[in-house]
Amino acid sequence: MSSFGFHLAFWLLAAMTVGGASMIIVSRNLIHAVIYLVISMLGVAGLYLTLSADFIAVVQVLIYVGAISVLMLFAIMLTPRAERDNSETSLKLPAAAVMILLLTATVFVALDTDWGAVRQAALADQARLIGQSLIREYVLPFEIGAVLLTAALVGAIALARRDDEDAAIHAQSLQAEAEGAADDVALLTDPPLVEVEAAPAGAGPTGSTSPASEDGG
Amino acid sequence: MTIGLEEYLALGALLFSLGFYIALSKKNAVGVLMGVELMLNAVNLTLIAFSRFSTSDVTLSTQVFVVFIIAVAAAEVAVGLALILVVYRNRQTINVDRTTLLKG
Repeated sequence: MSSFGFHLAFWLLAAMTVGGASMIIVSRNLIHAVIYLVISMLGVAGLYLTLSADFIAVVQVLIYVGAISVLMLFAIMLTPRAERDNSETSLKLPAAAVMILLLTATVFVALDTDWGAVRQAALADQARLIGQSLIREYVLPFEIGAVLLTAALVGAIALARRDDEDAAIHAQSLQAEAEGAADDVALLTDPPLVEVEAAPAGAGPTGSTSPASEDGG
Repeated sequence: MTIGLEEYLALGALLFSLGFYIALSKKNAVGVLMGVELMLNAVNLTLIAFSRFSTSDVTLSTQVFVVFIIAVAAAEVAVGLALILVVYRNRQTINVDRTTLLKG
């Protein structure tokens, strides 16, 4: 595993991953930050492939790139009046200091320790083996994980749904909007009637009659 | 120079540090969640690297472990984003510097 193509793939994927993560830090727009997160996750999926973990790479693309990024985009779109600003807060300097310390310590340990590591032979038929072990020796964690996912789903729905009075107010405002739209449509669809009786309708309670009829005519 | 375990470990450490910095320094709650996701990815990458280079036969167990970590991360993001929506509905902001209701 010392071929030129492998080296090129590793360094390109590493640059993609670290570059995406760094662009999250400097990007000012939150939606751009989600796109950079997707790039970084794709780089990590490629690194899994260089480690011969193909099933994990596919799961990474499905869950992170497919689901979690879309979930984050939904959360950003559903908070319209919150600021899209992604800039740093006042913890910038302490966070940078702690990050440098952590990075130095972990990289020192990683490079200084004699791991005695040799690249093992790749596991053949990984998806089948993982599936078998999930329903044999790891069946209890598997079931607990299923319960956890269900509980998280129900909890997220229970948190994110509106209360009853909120829902009633929301439904009323939606209905009022729909009725207003229906009025506009009615005004737009029969302009001759409005134009013929323009003078009495303009004196009526609906002040928006004349521009609508002009648009319709 | 061959690509060995050390390169993957250093890359994982760098990715973890970047996620740590993002989680600590961003003021938007969605940005904080992005940092947490980056940290989880760095840990997964380190685990897979160890499984590939380990001398004992733990490759399969490590991959199952990583699958569980990804499942728990997905649950965490779902609940976290629902919490962000609730905070936004009540406070009209998702700035973590301004959600100081529990501050004494």
